[in-house]
This record gives sequence, C-alpha cells and structure tokens, in this order.
Amino acid sequence: MKARTRAAATLLTPFFVLFTVVMLIPIGYAVWLSLFTEQQSGLGFGGSETVFTGLGNYTAALGDRVFRDGFLVLLGYCVVYIPLMVGGALALALLLDSALARAKRFFQLALFLPHAVPGIIAAMIWLYLYTPGLSPVVSAMHSGGIGFDFFSPGGALPSIVNIALWEWLGYNMVIFYAALQAIDRSVLEAATVDGASGGRIAFSIKLPLIRSSVLMVVLFTIIGSLQLFTEPLILNTGSGSAVSSSWTPNMYAYTAAFSRNDFGLAAAASVLLALTAALLSFVVTRLTGRKGAHA
Amino acid sequence: MNRSWSRTTLSIAGAVTALAVVTACGGSGDDSDGGGTGTAAKPVTITFWGWAKGTKEVVDAFNASHKNIRVKFEETPSGNAGGYAKISNAIKAGNAPDLVSVEYPQLPEYVSQGGFQDIGKYFTEETRKKFLPQAVEQTTLGGKTWAVPFDAAPQAFFYRKDLFEKYGIAVPKTWDEFKSAAEKVKKADSKARIGTFFPDDPTTFEAMVWQAGAQWFKADGDTWKVNTTDGTTTKVADYWQGLIKGGLVRTDASFSPAWTNSLKTGGTIGYLGASWGGGVLGSTLPEQSGKWAVAPIPTWDGKPASGMLGGTTFAVPKNSEKAAAAVEFATWMTTTEEGIKARISSGTSSAFPAALSLRPAAKKAFDTEFYGGQDIYQVFEDGGSAIAQGWTWGPSMGTTNTTLKDQFGKLAGGGTTVPEAVKAAHDATVAELSKRGLKVEG
Amino acid sequence: MSTTTRKNPWLSKAAVNGALLLAVLYMLFPLVWLVTAATKDTGSLLAGDTFSFEGFDLSKNLSDIASYGDGVYFRWYGNSLLYAGVGAAVCSLICVAAGYAFDKYEFRGKEKLFGLVLLGVLVPTTALALPMYLLASKIGIVNTYWSVLIPVLVNPFGVYLARVFSAGYIPGEALEAARIDGAGELRTFFSIGLPMMMPGFVTVFLFQFTAIWNNFFLPLVMLSDRKLFPLSLGLYSWNTNTHSEPGFYPLVVTGSLLAVIPLIVAFVSLQRHWKAGLTAGSVK
Repeated sequence: MKARTRAAATLLTPFFVLFTVVMLIPIGYAVWLSLFTEQQSGLGFGGSETVFTGLGNYTAALGDRVFRDGFLVLLGYCVVYIPLMVGGALALALLLDSALARAKRFFQLALFLPHAVPGIIAAMIWLYLYTPGLSPVVSAMHSGGIGFDFFSPGGALPSIVNIALWEWLGYNMVIFYAALQAIDRSVLEAATVDGASGGRIAFSIKLPLIRSSVLMVVLFTIIGSLQLFTEPLILNTGSGSAVSSSWTPNMYAYTAAFSRNDFGLAAAASVLLALTAALLSFVVTRLTGRKGAHA
Repeated sequence: MNRSWSRTTLSIAGAVTALAVVTACGGSGDDSDGGGTGTAAKPVTITFWGWAKGTKEVVDAFNASHKNIRVKFEETPSGNAGGYAKISNAIKAGNAPDLVSVEYPQLPEYVSQGGFQDIGKYFTEETRKKFLPQAVEQTTLGGKTWAVPFDAAPQAFFYRKDLFEKYGIAVPKTWDEFKSAAEKVKKADSKARIGTFFPDDPTTFEAMVWQAGAQWFKADGDTWKVNTTDGTTTKVADYWQGLIKGGLVRTDASFSPAWTNSLKTGGTIGYLGASWGGGVLGSTLPEQSGKWAVAPIPTWDGKPASGMLGGTTFAVPKNSEKAAAAVEFATWMTTTEEGIKARISSGTSSAFPAALSLRPAAKKAFDTEFYGGQDIYQVFEDGGSAIAQGWTWGPSMGTTNTTLKDQFGKLAGGGTTVPEAVKAAHDATVAELSKRGLKVEG
Repeated sequence: MSTTTRKNPWLSKAAVNGALLLAVLYMLFPLVWLVTAATKDTGSLLAGDTFSFEGFDLSKNLSDIASYGDGVYFRWYGNSLLYAGVGAAVCSLICVAAGYAFDKYEFRGKEKLFGLVLLGVLVPTTALALPMYLLASKIGIVNTYWSVLIPVLVNPFGVYLARVFSAGYIPGEALEAARIDGAGELRTFFSIGLPMMMPGFVTVFLFQFTAIWNNFFLPLVMLSDRKLFPLSLGLYSWNTNTHSEPGFYPLVVTGSLLAVIPLIVAFVSLQRHWKAGLTAGSVK
C-alpha cells in the first residue's frame, strides 16, 4: 500500500509543482496586488507610492459603469452565442449521425478545420471579411439588399459571435457526434422497427442519451465566453469597429493594466471575473444535476 | 527506471539548473558607476526599445561610428498595439531597457507614475536650445526634463491634387472652406469623401482642439485643472459632429484595410494628418505617386495655426543605471545629421525633426517624387512654427484617450455624438485623477 | 438503415446532406479566402476582389517572407514548433501521469485535490499573465524560452481528460496482473498504463499543441527579443506594422496561411486518435 501511495505521489508531483508555480502562486499574487493602489500627490510628477487600499479596487471596479457594462455584454453574448453554438453543434451532429448522411468522414473533418486556425488569425481573416470594399461577403450582402454594417454598434455582438461560432462549432459538433456514436445501436434499431421517424429518434432517444456531453459543452462554452479576449481585441485595434477597449471584463482588466497602468484595479477585475466563472459553473452544474439525477 | 521517465526528470532538472544560472547572471550588473558613458576598451551596452521605421538602421549607424557605447535594439509592437503595455510591465518589474520610445501624449502618464528618471543632468542647456521650443515644452514636466524629443509633428492636409483640380475645388484654408469643399467633393462623386474622422485615434481630434487654442489640462499650483467643455472645444466638437452627421467624412479606422482601400479606390481623396504621414502615404499608395500634394492644415480664422499630432520622444526608465549612455545615444539620434539621415534614407520616413538645424538634412534625405516634387518640408516648417504653445497633456492620457476612442467607436452608428464623447472622456479623466490621489478641478 | 421512414420531407437525403454541405461552405469559405488572398500583391489585396486572379504573386509573397528580416519568419516557425512540440509533449505526459494517479490510486483528500484542479480550468488565463510576468521577472527568466515554455506545461483540463481516459481504457485487472508479475508501480504505469492510454495522450497533446501554437498573449508580455517570438506573436507584430507600411499585409496573410498548415496536417493525420479522445472526454 505504501508503494502505491508513493507511486501516486510521484506521478502527481510534477503536475502539482507546476500547477502551484504557474497558477496558484500567480493567483495568490493577483489577489495580493488587488489590495494595493498607487497614490500620488499634488500634480503627480513626484512619482507614486503603493498604499494598501483593502477592497478599494473592488469597489472601484464594481462602481465603474464600463466594467458592469462588460458583464452585460457578456450576458448578451452568452444569450445569443450559447443557444446558437449548442443548438448548431447538436443539429450538425444529429444530421451527421442520421442514416441519411453521406461522406461522414469528410464532413466531420471539414467542419472541424476552423478549430485548427489560431484565434488571432481567425479574427484577422474575419476582419477583412467584414470590411466594406474588401469583403466579397459584404458586397454580396449589399447586392442582395442587406446593408448590414459589422462595424456599427449593433454589429459588434454579431461579428464576434460569428467568429466564435466559426472557431468552435465544429469542435463541439465532434464531441456530440462522438457521444452519439457511442449510443448502443440496438436501442436505435428497436425504435426504427417501432416506426419512429428519424427526427423523433433524434429528439426523444438520442438527445437524452447524450445529455452529459451537452452539459459539458455548455459548461465549457460558458467558461470560454467569460474569457473572451483575443477576437474582440483584434477587432478593437484593427478596425473602426464599435468593439470598445473594455468590451468584456477580461479586456477591461487588460486595459486597466496596460492603458491605465492601474495594476491593482486590473487584478481586482480579474479576480471578480474568476469568481463569476466559478459561481456560474457551480450554478450550472447544480441546476442541470438536479433536473436529471439519473444521468 | 524507465527511459522516458528519467528523461523527464532530466529535463526538469535541466530547467531548474537553467533557471538558477539565468537568475545568477541577471543579478550582476557590470556597470556599477551609473552615469558612465563607457570607453572603447570597456564599452557600455544599452538596450533600446522602439518600433518606428528605420530605427534599426539608426542603431546600426550608431554602433558603427561609436566605440564607447553599444546599443542593443529590440523592436516592440507599436505603442498602442502592445508596445506601451510592454514598457509598463517592464518598469513595474524593474527590468525595463535603458531607453524607450514614447509619444508625447503618453509621457506625462509614465512620469507621474514614477516610471522614468529625470535626465536633466545629461540633457544640457546647449542640447536643449537645439530643439523646437514647443517640443521641449512637452518633455519638461514639473520643471524637470524627462525625455529627448525626436520629432515635432505639425498637422498637415494631404490631398489628391489631380482630383481637386478635376472637380474644380480650391484647397481649403479655413474650416468653413473645408466644409464646403467636402460638400463639393461629395457632389462631384457621390462615393468620394474629402477625408476621414478616425474614431480609433483620439489624438487626431485632440490636435484639432489644440490647434483651435483649447487647453484641456493645466497645472495650476498643485492642482490639475481639466477643462474640455470650453467654448473652443465645443466649437470643434460640434463642427466634426456636423461633418459626420452630414456624411461628409468617412469614419474608418486610421490605416485600417478599409481606409487604405478607400484611398486606393479614390473613395477618400484627402487626409488630415501630420508631418510623419507624408512618408506613410507614399508607401501606402505607390501607384498614386505624383498625384498628391500637401497643404497647411485649415484653420478657424485663416491665420496659420497647428496642433501636434503624435511625435516621438526617448525616455530613460527609472531602473536603468546607464542613463548617461542612453541620453548620449538619444541625443545623437535626435540632433546629429548622421542620426537623422540613417532613419530617413532607410525608406519612407518623412519625420520632421524637433532639432531645428537638422531640417535641411531631413528635407534632402526625403524623396518628394510622390508629391510631384513639392517642397513638403516647407509646409511642415510653417506648420511647426505655428504650433500653439501652452498645450499640456494630462497625467492620465491612457484613461482619457481610451474613453474617447471607445466613445468615438459609436459615432458611426449614431450611438453618440462628438460632444457627448468628449464629456464622457472628461468625467472618466477626473475620476481617474481623484482615484490616484491627485488634486483635480474640472 | 436506409429503411428509415420518410414521412418528414425535411429529413430526406438531399436535405440532410444539403444542410451539411452548407455548413461546410461556411467553415471553408474563410479558409479559401485565406488561400486566394495569400496569392495577392499588396495592391490587389487592398483593392478588394480577392477571388480573381489579378495580381497573382504567391511566389513573391513567399520569397518576401523568406527574406524579410534575415528570414526571421522561419525562426518564428521553428520557435513555435519548439514551444508547441516540447511544451505539449511534456504537458501531456504530466497530465496523463496525474490523471492516471487520480484514477488508479486511493489517497486522502483525493477528490478535494481533484476539485482544485478543476477550479484551475476556470481561471482566465489573461488574468494570470501579468502576475506571472512580475514573478518571472523576479527570478530573471523574462525574455527567455523558459518564460513561455514553463507556463504552458500545465493544463488542468488535460488532467481531467486523462483521468476519464484512465478509467475507460485501463481495466484494473491489467494492473493487477502486472503487480502479480512483480512489476513496480511506476514501471506498471509506463509499460501498461501509458500505452493503453495512448489515444488520451495524443488528444491532450494535440489540443495542448494547438493551444500553445495559438498562444500569443503570454509571449507578448514575456518576450521582447524577436528571435524568441513564436509565430502568433510574430504575425501579430507584422500586423501592427501594416499601420505604417501596407506592404506587410501580404506578409501577414501569406504568413498566416503557412502558420495554419501544420495544425491542419496534425489534425487530419491524427484524427482517429483525437476523435477517440473526445469521445472518452464526453461519455463519462
């Protein structure tokens, strides 16, 4: 038994040493930083000193409308993005899993490919595709009588949602598809024999059977959404887009640290964001866990 | 033991050793006397961060002609694209290079956070006299010298000479004329516009305000007076709001693909920029060579007036122990003919040196073919001497400009107006200053 | 299978495959754009009209990339391969070892410890970059390979995945048999456990490889020496250069195309493994 404990310790040590070094200590340090602020006096040209401010940075962040708006943006983003993502990925997976689909390997791979494109490159590609005068998409839309401007205030959310969908739809589709493939075929055969239609099988048999995958995808999509950063950053710096520099809480922290040089505020904003993520995941797991305790 | 396991152990051990070695090396400074400028036998090595075009050539030229100082150049992303973030980080961590590039608006922010050191000791009165007074004014804060100015950036109006002639439009001298010219352009070609209001670049707007005579920030005793709602600012803000609302100017981001595309396709036939824009335009639109010209920026009363739009300075971060060498290099870059020539002949820079005596050299090094041989440096010269004095950048331009930029982003869709955007920036600025413990009125 | 009733016209073969095809078009369109855009010279690229063959200049773009800054692009390429290859390999091994330990051994506080790992998934990575930078500069590894390599060795989600994998793919009997044969615990892991978990290893490897390949914020903060840049950061810096010199646009676009290729190759050639890996991750 002792040998086993020692083996477990040996196998876990590399991970936990690194985990401590690159996650726990930086998190602790961020919390520490969030308790201090730089204070100056007079005109400020005498330099600044670091003073303890307690929860001052937290109240400052929460009191800042821009920061709170960031959460509203995230909320709006999640409301639009998560149903589209989960619904779209599910629909594609079910279509692919249906007996009628052909060339499954090709479809699976082709749909997955965007995930192999680095987020920063994906954002740069789409930036071009959003630009009037350069983009075949925009000019096609114009000749089709759709005058949608991706850079207008109303276009900010759709343009980011689209990039994220493009990057992640195939990935989540593959997860669902893999789960669907794992379903015991005899169950489906039985339903087919009973005369259930393909659509009925999909919704009343397949879907309930893969609900744990759906939950996982929802969870990770939420976590991913909360960390939204690279794509809006590229749209923010590279265009006249209405995506502001503090569009999401993550960007707010970045701007606070690097445009405003307020490290304490940045740390506080990050800690608040991480707490929100933890809280949300907890709520999601609890809610879904209770509804279907049998899964 | 299994092979791959021992390999992992080895590599981890290797990493730890490497860490230890690196740490040990990092700790020992070879130059302990601080202000020395080195000798040929024992040169001082300084690290320099910048992003401007031609910088590498300047550094090479310096290294080739100097034995006492070695400059190690590291190219960073441009300021707002990550360069400033890097500088802030490095200062905070205490391992910033010995010399960094900073634009005028950002300088007070770094200074007020104690990021830079006072270089007055090395920046002699004699050196000071070589520069345009307006530039020195910008690098002197609280009576101390914080940076060596490189270029002055007077505003200028670049326009398509061929199209202005074709449409029979006179080059506007006042903002009233500019507006009617804008209307004529639109009338002559419904797809063309006279210029662009850059929503992503608040400094362009601020230069307009500066030109009009406003003073957003004023140090009064030990109090910052923030005034962005004066009559002058309001006049400028309303003017641009009118042009935007009337669809007389574009609202593309500066140097974005959209903007460049509209220049290439004749959808934009003018550019309200500054001296340095002359070179950029040339390299952006090589196929339009000979079709462009430069005019003084329009003014409110027809008398010459200009603000300053961008412009670079060189500052020494506080942790550097090689300030003397860094300033010597910066002074060489900004005040000697070799320094200027290396930069300008490297390609397409149309930088307008803050050092007065270098202008003939800069002019000679710049190829004016793109402007049909026009003496564009004369236009800059006139603009430079008309730069309004008394403008001060505030100590929190990061906050001010970020807010302004975010607000301007909503202009195109009618989400806000220019005056409203200015008000929002004002409030954010005042809040930021009080958060830092500064005395502020406004 | 094909006897499925066809009461619903929406589910006819044409509709199903048509819908999939439409989705594929959406996915591939930007990639096709990237390929054609990479063949353009600056003028044609910024004049719109990407799909025509006007201004076809792929070879010039490629040679520009090769020659710019003494071929620094390929140095970045090598760096990316190094960061992603070494980082992902070490990371996967560490994750698989930890996941295996969580699955096969009992020890006090196990589930609490595992919960801690899962919490690690929630932390916004951008939020850690700044404190990590400050810490890294204290120990003096800023602007070195280590500053980028060490942080990417950790992936809490990989541990989660590896644990699920270990549970699904390594039957307890196999380990018992090895133990009866007198093999030590670590030896059992390396000779029995690891080979059985190979699809899991490949999955973690591939996704970590992608993550590192795509990572640009951490290198942006940590590195100032161009010679150490990974591709993502190099391309980003070129992209910021386009502001003053549009001649960089073709470099960015063509460089992006080349940067995407290894990932696509990796995913296509290893698809059997990672699909198995994703299944294990989701069917719990």
